[in-house]
Amino acid sequence: MSKKAKVKKVKLGKLEKREARYGYLFILPWFIGVLVFLLIPLVQSFQFSLADIRMTPFGRLITFVGHENYTQIWLEDKDFPVMLVSYFLETLLSVPIIVVFALIIAMLLNGRIKFKGAFRLIFFLPVIIVSGPVMLMLTGQGATTINTMNVQAINSALNQFLPQYIAKSISEVFGNMVTILWYSGVQILIFLSALQKIDASLYEAAKMDGGSEWECFWKITLPTIKSMILLNAVYTVIATSNNESNPIINIIQNAMFAGNKGYGYASAMAWMYSVAETLIIGIVALVLVTKRDAYDKQVKKVKKDRVKQNRAIKRARRRGRRNDGKIKKALNSK
Amino acid sequence: MKRRIALLLVLTMLISALSGCVFGNNKADKGSNQTPTNATQGSDQADTKEKNEQANSNEATVSTGLPPMTTEPITLKYLNFDSEVLTKKLAEKFMDKYPNITVEVEYINVADFGTTLLNLINTGEVPDAFMFSDSDFALSNYLLYDMTELWEADPENQNILPTINELKIGYYDTDRKWATPIKFFPGIVYVDKTVLETLNIPMPRMDWTWEEMIQLIKDATDHTQSPAYYGLGAYNRLDSLYGIAASQDIKGEFGWDGTGFDLSVWAVGEQEFADLKLNRYVAPERETQRMEDWLGDWEGWAGASGRVAVMTEAYWTYMNIWDTPEYKEDAKINFVPYAIPSVDEVDGVANTIATLDMGGISAATKHPREAYELLKFMGWGKEGWEAKMEIFLDESITNASGMPLKRDSMPAPITMDEGVWADYRSLYPTNEEEGPYWDAYFKNCTRPVPFGWMSIAGYWTFCDEYFNKLNIHNLVDSGQAKAADYAAEATEKANQYHQAAMKQYFNIDWEPTN
Repeated sequence: MSKKAKVKKVKLGKLEKREARYGYLFILPWFIGVLVFLLIPLVQSFQFSLADIRMTPFGRLITFVGHENYTQIWLEDKDFPVMLVSYFLETLLSVPIIVVFALIIAMLLNGRIKFKGAFRLIFFLPVIIVSGPVMLMLTGQGATTINTMNVQAINSALNQFLPQYIAKSISEVFGNMVTILWYSGVQILIFLSALQKIDASLYEAAKMDGGSEWECFWKITLPTIKSMILLNAVYTVIATSNNESNPIINIIQNAMFAGNKGYGYASAMAWMYSVAETLIIGIVALVLVTKRDAYDKQVKKVKKDRVKQNRAIKRARRRGRRNDGKIKKALNSK
Repeated sequence: MKRRIALLLVLTMLISALSGCVFGNNKADKGSNQTPTNATQGSDQADTKEKNEQANSNEATVSTGLPPMTTEPITLKYLNFDSEVLTKKLAEKFMDKYPNITVEVEYINVADFGTTLLNLINTGEVPDAFMFSDSDFALSNYLLYDMTELWEADPENQNILPTINELKIGYYDTDRKWATPIKFFPGIVYVDKTVLETLNIPMPRMDWTWEEMIQLIKDATDHTQSPAYYGLGAYNRLDSLYGIAASQDIKGEFGWDGTGFDLSVWAVGEQEFADLKLNRYVAPERETQRMEDWLGDWEGWAGASGRVAVMTEAYWTYMNIWDTPEYKEDAKINFVPYAIPSVDEVDGVANTIATLDMGGISAATKHPREAYELLKFMGWGKEGWEAKMEIFLDESITNASGMPLKRDSMPAPITMDEGVWADYRSLYPTNEEEGPYWDAYFKNCTRPVPFGWMSIAGYWTFCDEYFNKLNIHNLVDSGQAKAADYAAEATEKANQYHQAAMKQYFNIDWEPTN
């Protein structure tokens, strides 16, 4: 057979068609939402970033300026590039702190302790309470810093062997330690639900084989919840980046109303910011993305080897047939 | 692979289609290469103006010099961050006067004002008249209608606070009137009579000079007592007051005299204030360890301590806080008002810094004449102020917290009408002890000079992008730097920002000539 046999497409029955329609109907609101509230604004903001925009009473006054806003940000704006770099470093530093803290708390809350529900509530409370004005008030009163931690000393120590902007970013993380830890409420919940799904028989089996708690954590808990670590890390990057107390968000908002900047300039800033944010998410994904299971790898390797072997056999057979033909021809001619 | 290419093509198409939507909807862009400015935007007003003038040409011009108001039923929208109760009551009175006009008043918190105003403009719901929080915002978005003809034709505008016309406030260094003050909070310095009596220091004369004020601050500081007495409690920094008090030729902050900035003037005031702070003549600020040490209360306030001789507080603080039994009778705090002193002796009333909130007519309004009248009624007009006085005098009219409106950041009249001022004066103490101080104060506060962000193009951008980022106040206050060292560079920068703003907003090539 020279051609592969065509697979006949099976037409959907009435029931399946109806179910498919229901499916589309259910995801329609999401599609509309994405189109209206995500895609259109996204494209529009990119176009705004290439223009000088004034919101006059006669309508939007749009003057196309090409990449001028972007070059102005990088060459003339004193604050934004510096803040972007420190945001980048601070986020990369604070994400592991939040995720590890959330994991530890989740494991403690998953243990056999009294008033488990009350403790869970306490750790989730900041998510509900600590917003906008409350946060500003607490920050103003110095409640978001650990008083006994001498941030100045940390900063001067780091300054001795690190460039100033890196040292500053690291000491900022120490200075806002309480705030950073407050951001871990949702992550604790996610870890908690992942921990509760781990099959208890795995631990039983490990313990029967003499495995310690420490070994169980590294060999069972951590590999099982690895995908949740990635989820939490990505969530943390997005939550801290989009937080209203983030100074970059304030800078972008102020640029919208500044006499010499406007919506176009602010849009360009927002795009630069989103690129930095995506970059961080990329780095996080690169570090934490779950690699394929060892067993799966083995199976795939065996399959590949089998295919190779089959090909080699086929090649040998073809060669044999060709050789047979040649021998027959030679015999006949004789 | 094919699927990916198809997806990429669909995305490209989508982006191009939406591109067309955004750049195609460029309503305000007339397709010319001309740089848009407030002046060219003004040409868009021509249609509206022409119609307005045509409508009026058949009718006799009324005695006021202004074209008459329309008799057609129309609706005007007024956006503000004033008192909500007051503006709604005023709108009712305006509608009583002009039954054919419906006024929709919308109050927006000042913090969200810019965002809301631009959102309304974006959705086509442009208000006909509005307040604004800083001039750069209004000018850069070409929001303002050129009200020169209306302003200059209105004889009532000759009987308002004289500096508004003399300093051409709202002209922004052009020959056109774009905006005008609609709320006036005079500059003020409070002196606590009780403190001076306790310290056995005589009250200063009402037409005191800057030097006398500084001397009083020094004399009234006494750290031997517990809690200590401080000469000055500063909500407003002295350099803000000094900038205008330094010379009668100055028309705005940072030594602005109409031809350019000169921050060497500001530097003198800044340094003097810093020296007072460093030498502990100035009371501690709220939420500081020094405040905790002084009054034993982290959140304490110098104005409630009864241990401060001179306070540079807001004009409304007296009515809102100090004119209450809790302060006057219980705490025996008895602040009386003084006009901000001038550096040199001045014949007559001196110019003083004041808060002047600005208002304007929308460049796109279809009813500029009527919008002007509404803005005047809400802001500076005599009739509007007569209506306001009825409201302020009626203590049954209260705000959402149940406070009479005279105690809810009540402004002072912009009109100089004697009847209005007499009514207004009656709201403040008239007794023998305090009355003479208020009489003298109201006589001496009528030549206001607005803060820079209300009257000078590019000023706010300069502060936001340069001045505030230098952290000058903290550096000078803590003795780490001298104000004079910054003056030359800051002057140059301020002029640069003004120059760029004049070009962008009005297409005017401005150069400093001072």
